[in-house]
Amino acid sequence: MTIDATTPRFEFRRAASVGEAVQWLATPGARVHAGGTDLVPNLRRGLERPSIVVDIGGIAGLAGIAWRDDACAIGATVTLARLAADARVASTYPALAEAAAAVGAPAHRSAGTVGGNLCADTRCVHYNQGAWWRGAVGGCLKRGGDVCHVAPQGRRCHAAFCGDLAPALIALSAELDVASYGGVRRMAAVDLYRDDGAAHLALLPGELVTAVRLPPPDGVSGYRKARVRGSIDFPLAGVAIALRVGQRSIERAIVAVTGVGPRPVVVGTEAIVGRRVDDETAALLATRVEQSVKPMRTTATPAAYRRQVAGVLAARLLRTLAA
Amino acid sequence: MGTRLLEVTVNGRTRCDAVDDATLLVDYLRRSVGLTGTKQGCDGGECGACTVLVDGAPRLACITLAASMAGRSIETIESLAAAGRMSPLQRAFHEHLGAQCGYCTPGMIMSAEALLRRDRAPTEDAIRAALAGNLCRCTGYVKIVESVQAASRALAEGER
Amino acid sequence: MSSSIGAASAEASPPRTVGHPTPLVDGVDKVTGRARYTADLPHADALVGMILRSTVAHGTIVGIDVSAARALPGVRAVVTGDDFAAPYGVIPIAQNEWPLARERVRYRGEPIAAVAADDRASAEAALAAIVADIAPLSPVFTAQDALAEGAPLLHRDKAGNVEREVAQDFGDVDAGFAAADLVRERRFHYAEVAHGQIERNAAVASFDPERGELTSRSTTQVPYYLHLAIARCLGLDRAQIRITKPFVGGGFGHRVEPLNFEIVAAALARAAGATVRVEQSREDSFLTHRGRPETDIRLRLGLRAGGEITAVDCEVIQRGGAYAGYGVVTILYAGALLHALYRVGAVRYRGLRVYTNTPPSGAMRGHGAVDVRHAFEALLDEMGGELGLDPFALRRANLIEPPWRTANDLQVNSCALAACLDRVEEASGWRERRGKLPRGRGLGLACSHYVSGAAKPVQWSGEPHAVVNLKLDFDGSITLLTGAADIGQGSSTLLTQVAAETLCLPIERIRVVAADSALTPKDNGSYSSRVSFMVGNAALRAAEALRDTLVEAAARTLGVAATEVVWQGERCLVRGTDRELDFASVVAAALAGTGTLTVKGVWTTPSEMQGGRFRGAAVGSTAGFSYSAQVVEVAVDEETGAVSVEHVWVAHDCGFAINPLAATGQVQGAVWMGMGQALQEETQYHEGLALRPNFLDYRIPTIAESPPIDVTLVDSLDPLGPFGAKEASEGSLHGFAPALTSAIADATGIRLMALPATPDRVLDAIVRRRREARLESMRANRAAAAAGERTNP
Ligand SMILES: Cc1cc2nc3c(=O)[nH]c(=O)nc-3n(C[C@H](O)[C@H](O)[C@H](O)COP(=O)(O)OP(=O)(O)OC[C@H]3O[C@@H](n4cnc5c(N)ncnc54)[C@H](O)[C@@H]3O)c2cc1C
Ligand code: SF4
Ligand code: FES
Ligand code: FES
Repeated sequence: MTIDATTPRFEFRRAASVGEAVQWLATPGARVHAGGTDLVPNLRRGLERPSIVVDIGGIAGLAGIAWRDDACAIGATVTLARLAADARVASTYPALAEAAAAVGAPAHRSAGTVGGNLCADTRCVHYNQGAWWRGAVGGCLKRGGDVCHVAPQGRRCHAAFCGDLAPALIALSAELDVASYGGVRRMAAVDLYRDDGAAHLALLPGELVTAVRLPPPDGVSGYRKARVRGSIDFPLAGVAIALRVGQRSIERAIVAVTGVGPRPVVVGTEAIVGRRVDDETAALLATRVEQSVKPMRTTATPAAYRRQVAGVLAARLLRTLAA
Repeated sequence: MGTRLLEVTVNGRTRCDAVDDATLLVDYLRRSVGLTGTKQGCDGGECGACTVLVDGAPRLACITLAASMAGRSIETIESLAAAGRMSPLQRAFHEHLGAQCGYCTPGMIMSAEALLRRDRAPTEDAIRAALAGNLCRCTGYVKIVESVQAASRALAEGER
Repeated sequence: MSSSIGAASAEASPPRTVGHPTPLVDGVDKVTGRARYTADLPHADALVGMILRSTVAHGTIVGIDVSAARALPGVRAVVTGDDFAAPYGVIPIAQNEWPLARERVRYRGEPIAAVAADDRASAEAALAAIVADIAPLSPVFTAQDALAEGAPLLHRDKAGNVEREVAQDFGDVDAGFAAADLVRERRFHYAEVAHGQIERNAAVASFDPERGELTSRSTTQVPYYLHLAIARCLGLDRAQIRITKPFVGGGFGHRVEPLNFEIVAAALARAAGATVRVEQSREDSFLTHRGRPETDIRLRLGLRAGGEITAVDCEVIQRGGAYAGYGVVTILYAGALLHALYRVGAVRYRGLRVYTNTPPSGAMRGHGAVDVRHAFEALLDEMGGELGLDPFALRRANLIEPPWRTANDLQVNSCALAACLDRVEEASGWRERRGKLPRGRGLGLACSHYVSGAAKPVQWSGEPHAVVNLKLDFDGSITLLTGAADIGQGSSTLLTQVAAETLCLPIERIRVVAADSALTPKDNGSYSSRVSFMVGNAALRAAEALRDTLVEAAARTLGVAATEVVWQGERCLVRGTDRELDFASVVAAALAGTGTLTVKGVWTTPSEMQGGRFRGAAVGSTAGFSYSAQVVEVAVDEETGAVSVEHVWVAHDCGFAINPLAATGQVQGAVWMGMGQALQEETQYHEGLALRPNFLDYRIPTIAESPPIDVTLVDSLDPLGPFGAKEASEGSLHGFAPALTSAIADATGIRLMALPATPDRVLDAIVRRRREARLESMRANRAAAAAGERTNP
């Protein structure tokens, strides 16, 4: 019976520029710190043991929202509070504003950032626990052990990505600027994620998300989140939809769901495109969502409920957006 | 592993203290500065008891690294009473029983303070939204809402 | 009768303090951040104490090797179970828990060793260096498994893992059911819940080896029980121990028994000859637990067509966890409080308290009676529906009229439940709105009651139930000395009001010193809502004694008979004249001969209030019952299963509200805590390991989903309560859950038999009902078709 010492030890460095940040991030074991609202709880529990913590909060160029016509570039350290309060964001990208407002509670949002939300760790009841607790179960595949307590036969971690922004950004066809020591690359938001709860980000070591780029909106959008309490809780499921409805029927629909697996799930919408938005179409979407998402028992709330409620939220949101 | 000299403003006074890089803001305030008004109710980010203001915005001191506060201005519950007199919010919490055991109170008041600075006459919904990260186990929140409303009224009267 | 309080007020116009909303006397400290809670106490030199917990649920301790830990730099003391003289437990007949496990561990998280070191890192290193050799035994995690044939035994002396079996029969139950027009039986299940007081546990203990003195300050509701426990477990004389209680951030029962960390802190302090500070995590409080047990209930009720209850048959099984704690009391309360709310003559109760390899359950606000009250009110509601009775009419058919002696020998001297019902019926607009709300909206009613202090405390030598001292000094200030622990409920304020009122003095003249075993008279602590009633009565009597002394001194000075003195507090007059004396002169006169004065007030619960003669009769007995009725309005989202509480109207008979502000706040807090349990709070275990030991997964309601709670305080002027007062901080908790489920039934037709009503459970029930309805209509169609075939061949 051993106990991991939990007092974290690391070196804290405050980067003045992206260049400095990526240079430091090239050191093995370096970690980005933005708002710290996801990273620091994990540090306190000994879930992360970085050698260097690189704070990007002081980099001037990352904290702005820039518009060109109706397209928008949002810096990685823009806070969720600012995003949720921005009138232009709310009118142009309602899904994004609604998702930002749905994160945690006010104090999480005044610290938490866009980049941190996109890159937040995955979650699982067997993982987000103290050091003693994890020692008591011998750790798990995601960290410090060799079984998964959720699916003991498997060799894969099912911890769920629970960020609220990602589905909205995916539905809105956002792209990300990713900087590294080698330069800058651009990737679709949806490509940031991998289907592995223990390594869910498709970032290379040392890479930093610097901005989110949004094309002009193509229709309407919205975000709905299921949680037990009216605040604080991570999503049991969160659904974002971007929708363009023509004279009579749906011309384009992107539906993305968070909180139901290691990565946000993009739900195929072929079945509803071309249909009018009515109860039947909504039910069809609900069924498609329920078939597409496969939450595992990573929450204290039963997984079946997360699947069911994702379908309900999608159907409702569809009707609301079309109304 | 590192130590640094941290320059911050705490309750209006500029300080410079040696802190370990891994020090949490809540420990810095409670242990190094000696301001124990800021409380801790959970193991990180889940209850709001440690809410302080950083440059006027509510922040959870228990998941904030002290080192990241360089150059920032921090306000704690101890800053509100001027010359020992309760602030309008403090007086309202006292008179309307917004505090029972008082443990959530410093965090609750700091969240409410951030709200009232932004919006002196908030609606009930706005009050509930602003305090939604502060758990209280004693009051059922009814008298907390009433306290913030009373403070808002007192501010309005003070202006007149 | 409520003593002689009328005497002074008849002619005087003194400052009235009782009955007026009064901010807390220690409120300014709380809102300014000046209040020091245990973790805030300055102790630059304190060592860091930490506790090692077992990861094994059930096992034999083969050995705990602490030699490597002891040898580490910065480590000042290491202790294990062997360092204690005796086990502890709040009930003298059931002390089976060691502060650190000995011989066996019985739950995952049980403390097995502890260290004191110079700093946290050294302490953590020391814990990591302890080698515990534990040979696993097979564990039992549910009551059902623990009761199964051949189940491993947790305690050698407890066959079948039964901690206590209760069998109580009052009246002729079979005849009662035979006389009923409707009999129904249902089964209910309740999740285990936890107190969730926001302050984390902490203790600071110091030991002075030169004088052999130990002092302890900690987050406790029962400083004097802790006093006993530390003396016992450390083998110290109580006179060598001083316990003081700093500000305490809530308790709700978590801190109503001495807890392992407090005793361990004391042991570490002694071993190190130093001051040791133990600050625990939130996870630690969930592992320490002592919450409301997981409970299964089978309930059968008999009703006449008019709603009168003819018989009650109730069986309760509680999963008690690994140690006794308050368990015996909890299982007895569950049965005892089947009585005293309604007129019930025939009651059969079977209770089983079971040992399991989970953290020990204990007392939690509403101790023992909450789950049973849900079952009772929920079944009443259902049966009332079948009988076509309005829920209010059903309750009114069963009201108690005091004075009333229940079948189980509890005495009810005051009861204003009828008035409570009237108030909430009106406030909620019940008659106009019930049954007319849109789909998904509903109203539900439930009643509840609770004791104002257990008439027989668990640790009791026959001494008075409460003692208060008042010290009057030459400066004219009065210090009220009480052992009662104010944990946020406002007891210090209430005692100040009682004394001020009786002495006709402004409350500013009175200062409270509370809960310091070196200064204050012993008190049993803050639980079972005993403080207002018992300590309030003691304060009243102390103040009367002081007033009498002062009146006599005034009479002497004025040269008149004491009966001629009109006492008005800050001054007194000679009746019918304009001769007067100010307070300072009276004080000078009173103290001239004697010096500083200390007077004492005591309160003893009258023996007829102390329960009957059967085994377990003491539990439930009290000097006064509070009563409560509440209406809950809900909105149910039938697609997501989300239940939102829109409004609560509650009327609480607290006898007389000495401090209406605090009483209202207490009732709101109680109703709301009932809501948390009913809607969303639950613990959960994964092979005995707490799965929700944090505030994200243990979902205490936030302000965002918390409803308006309208409180009406109803007077009934209890003949024994101080100024007629009874309790106000627990009784309204019990009614919330049944009012909620009745409202859900009103909104959706679904009766939940398992709580909490989380969205997944509600949705499950809705889906199940839809499926059943479909099947039924299919069957009906088929039958109709078959019938059609038969009639039209
Ligand atoms: C009680 C509680 C409730 C919460 N509820 C929610 C919720 O409902 N919904 C939700 O979405 N989140 C929730 N969170 C998590 C968190 O607050 C948010 O996700 C927040 O947006 C994280 O942003 P941050 O800037 O604080 O991230 P940080 O903690 O600074 O970083 C998070 C992770 O992302 C990495 N990272 C940060 N920035 C970048 C970047 N620019 N490029 C690459 N990597 C980066 C960090 O290394 C770290 O691994 C909750 C947290 C708590 C404690
Ligand atoms: S899903 Fe399995 S491997 Fe992943 S965190 Fe949970 S228990 Fe660990
Ligand atoms: S102590 Fe900081 S949120 Fe709980
Ligand atoms: S007043 Fe006790 S937790 Fe809020």
